[in-house]
Amino acid sequence: MLEEALAAVRAAATLQELQDVRVRYLGKKGVLTRELKGLGALPPEERREAGKAINERKAAVEAAIQERREALERRALDEQLAGERVDVTLPGTALASGGLHLLTLVTHRLLDVFTALGYEVAVGPELETDHYNFGALNFPEEHPARDEQDTFWTTDGRLLRTHTSPMQVRYMETHEPPFKVVVPGKVFRNEAVDATHEAQFNQLEALVVGERITMADLRGAIDEMATALFGKGTRTRLQPTFFPFVEPGAEFAIYWTHPRTGREEWLELGGCGMVHPNVFEAVGYRGVTGFAFGFGIERLALVPYGIPDIRAFYQGDLRVLRQFRGAL
Amino acid sequence: MRVPHGWLGEFLGDALPSVERTVELLDGLGLAVETVHRLAAAPSSVVVADVTEVEPIEGSEHLVRAVAHDGAREVQVVCGAPNARVGVRSALALPGAELPGAGFTVGEREMLGVASRGVLASPRELGLFDYGGGIIEFGGDVPLGAPLEELWPAESVIELELTPNRGDAFSVLGVARDLAAKLRSPLHLPGEAARAGDPEADDGLSLEILDAAACPRFTLRLIEGVTVGPSPVWLQRRLAALGLRPRNNVVDVTNYVTFELGQPSHAYDRRVLEGGVLQVRRARPGERVTLLDEETYELDGEDLVIATPSQDGGSRAVGLAGVMGGLHDSVVADTATVALEVAHFDPVVVRKAAKRHRLSTDAHYRFERGVDPNLPPRASARAAALIAELAGGRVHPGLTEQGGDTARPAIRFRPSQVHFLMALDVPLSEQRTSLEGLGCAVDEAGDDRWTVTPPSWRFDLAIEEDLIEEVARVHGYEHIGVSVPAMHFVPPIHDPTHRRLKEALADMGLQETLNYVFTGPDELARAGAPAASVTLSNPQGVERSVLRTALYPGLLAAAALNRGTPSLALFEVGHVFLDGGEEDRVAMLWRGPWSRGVWRGDLPLDFFVAKGVLESLAARMGAELRSEPCEAPFLHPGVSARLRWQDEDVGVLGRLHPEVAARFDLDEVYLAELRLPLPEGRIRYREIRRQPYAERDVALVVPDEVSYAELAAMVRAAAGADLESLEPFDVYQGEQVAAGMRSVALRLRFRLAERALTDEEVDGHMHNVMKAVRDAGYDIRA
Repeated sequence: MLEEALAAVRAAATLQELQDVRVRYLGKKGVLTRELKGLGALPPEERREAGKAINERKAAVEAAIQERREALERRALDEQLAGERVDVTLPGTALASGGLHLLTLVTHRLLDVFTALGYEVAVGPELETDHYNFGALNFPEEHPARDEQDTFWTTDGRLLRTHTSPMQVRYMETHEPPFKVVVPGKVFRNEAVDATHEAQFNQLEALVVGERITMADLRGAIDEMATALFGKGTRTRLQPTFFPFVEPGAEFAIYWTHPRTGREEWLELGGCGMVHPNVFEAVGYRGVTGFAFGFGIERLALVPYGIPDIRAFYQGDLRVLRQFRGAL
Repeated sequence: MRVPHGWLGEFLGDALPSVERTVELLDGLGLAVETVHRLAAAPSSVVVADVTEVEPIEGSEHLVRAVAHDGAREVQVVCGAPNARVGVRSALALPGAELPGAGFTVGEREMLGVASRGVLASPRELGLFDYGGGIIEFGGDVPLGAPLEELWPAESVIELELTPNRGDAFSVLGVARDLAAKLRSPLHLPGEAARAGDPEADDGLSLEILDAAACPRFTLRLIEGVTVGPSPVWLQRRLAALGLRPRNNVVDVTNYVTFELGQPSHAYDRRVLEGGVLQVRRARPGERVTLLDEETYELDGEDLVIATPSQDGGSRAVGLAGVMGGLHDSVVADTATVALEVAHFDPVVVRKAAKRHRLSTDAHYRFERGVDPNLPPRASARAAALIAELAGGRVHPGLTEQGGDTARPAIRFRPSQVHFLMALDVPLSEQRTSLEGLGCAVDEAGDDRWTVTPPSWRFDLAIEEDLIEEVARVHGYEHIGVSVPAMHFVPPIHDPTHRRLKEALADMGLQETLNYVFTGPDELARAGAPAASVTLSNPQGVERSVLRTALYPGLLAAAALNRGTPSLALFEVGHVFLDGGEEDRVAMLWRGPWSRGVWRGDLPLDFFVAKGVLESLAARMGAELRSEPCEAPFLHPGVSARLRWQDEDVGVLGRLHPEVAARFDLDEVYLAELRLPLPEGRIRYREIRRQPYAERDVALVVPDEVSYAELAAMVRAAAGADLESLEPFDVYQGEQVAAGMRSVALRLRFRLAERALTDEEVDGHMHNVMKAVRDAGYDIRA
């Protein structure tokens, strides 16, 4: 009987068949259940032995059923898993993936540096007046210094700002020293457009005014920026030059390792100097000194990535723009 | 401005350092070096020779057979130069000579049956200066047979990129003066011994300066008995190194002095000065003058001209003051008496005239930056002596002159300010030496109270800070230290560059692009954008002649450009320029599937995906976003929404109008354009509701034109305060409902914070909703 039951268990191909086997042998009317019930008919001295034997057979059948159930369940799961298999080598579903323009990324990096150094960020209008772009910045009327900034004029006598420096005046008109402020933004020059010159480009301007700001503070600020951008030990250089709105004036360069050629060289970055007294006078400041520096942002994007043509920035070609999604 | 290194030696003597060191010093002084030109020597196998015979060649109109004699031998050549005439001293290139400007090696050959055993060479062929219209001509200073490479050695020329404030540095003298101050060495002035003219001596000349403000100083000097001819080789070399073309020994001297001292001048043939009179006056409007560039100019009433009396009793212009001399009045081959004009003109008058006539000359460039007003008598003496020396003749002792020396205002200077402003420690003695080396007169009136009078040539020195820069410049900016200001300033934290918005949009799958602020009127019209309100007066072409009034046209252009990209989501943040002023905006564009499934199909993009992006953006800012149908000329009339962000009208979202899309060769495109900054919402904590909720669904059949927003408002009002949320879970239009109607299925969720709602309460709310719907005349779908 036991052999027959165990064979039936082994033969059960599904969980249902196994359940049927269980009912047949262990159910209320099952073979073994009936045998147990039939114990009463035996003489008392035989009951004990016979009961023990039945229970052993019952345990053996139960164990076999349990084992078989686990096997069947495992097989069912295996089948389910096999049915759910996918080809993991097929491409994934592309989520729309966006990104920032490289110039924005570079600007953000610079703003990170300056906000970490305690500067406020300010912005200003791109359409400016002669007063803010030139007059208040100590550009005399009919002075050749104006020619250096080929200007787009509007028919109503306004202009597209040629530098971010007008914001020096606008900021000072509405704030009291001491302060440290940086101004990023678009500027415009009416010059022939080629691989290295754009009619529209970006500058970042820094202005610091306080009771006793010196040219060494200016150099310190440029050093801090250079260190933040290019690492410790970066050298900077100031050389005298002329901008009407600073006196003394200088141009500054950073000694860096060219990220593509690996050569160490001076990167001429921009202009700087101590704010000209006439500029302070134009905004009604007295008894303060200050420094300003400014530079073009494009170079910091062009040179490290080896972009050969500045015009790529405004052509909107995604094959170009998307290359820089993971930049910086 | 080009400065031959060797020329500096005339001013600095032995103190002149090597080219490399000179470049370093100049950069450090703020006379930025753009480049150093290494000019080659004249080629070898070229000797000085006289042309001794010239004879036409039969069968040729312009080739001649010439014989050149170098003192030792006669060489027959075939030559096509118009100035190949007997008596000309020139350069003979012998076989084997390599001519850099001609690109060939001279050989022996035969032309039209005539043997040519060398080449009489032009300056361009020799690589000396850019003139190819004839063979080079020399004067008697060069010996026959001399190898040209010895007469014309290699040279380094430093090219400076000078700033507009340093008019004084547009001369070798000015550059040398800065170097001398830096090197603390004396400055030698060439030709200092030249005699200034005597205003009392009668030279038969007179001046009529009719505008002394525009022409504060004018001198005229005669040099008599000159012979116009080629300049000596040293002068030709100097001019060639400057990039000029040597012409003759009179004109060359005026150019030489322009570069040597920074003083432009002009040499007239005395014969054209009718009655010896020269006039300086404003031009008559419409007056015409032909200048040295052989162009005729119609003058403006503001132009300042040099004029001579004309036979009709009036006067005629002979030159545009400070810009260019006249063609017919200058020195010619047979000029015997030269009248030399050395004058000073107002920078603005010269600048305006040059601009007006689009002329850029060495003279105008210097005058508009400011020439030393006290220089004319000395420059006149220098130039006159040189002309007499090189062209023969003698300088007339007299000088006809108007105007006198001027002095620049003194500046109060506190040497302590050098440290105050620059944090530089410069000893007082060095400060004084530096200022004096630059030509300033220093009066130490008291302790830290100096009076410094700048020299007449330094227009840029006007205030104390200017002098501080001079002291620091000579001392060296490399000594400026590094410090950090102690400052009590707490920067406000704000986001004027809209950085968070840009980063959110990039995170949500949009790629940022940047476009030009200038565009064309046609481009705006094509995109259906408002007409421009700002027009440029000097644009780079009509397609860049106005400022943009919207950002989306730029995105459309980018979409058109990237037509080959299957899925596009772009944005730009920037300024637009409207009648009301400049405005910050963000624009977005979507085209093609929102996400690409490739082998399993794309997630299509429609209005609601685009709207979902904006809703996510609003959610990030804690803002409430509502939309209502609107009309915008560039949007599809049925798929366009006005967006209310925190109840503020910020812009529109919709599908690009198919007509506009067709103009850009685009199909289905969705656009949004919003004003910035977008108002932020105020976020408040709300207690979590822990009680169970009850949900009920109801489907309403309403006419198409009833918006979801209207329906939702009605249902919300009827459902009462226990309604927690309302969501449309199905919108259906089709066979199951009547034409012109749609079915909107709503899911209402009710919940109370403090206890569970009873079925009766919820049924009561739903009853009110049904009633409101029926009262409005809509059906409830079973």
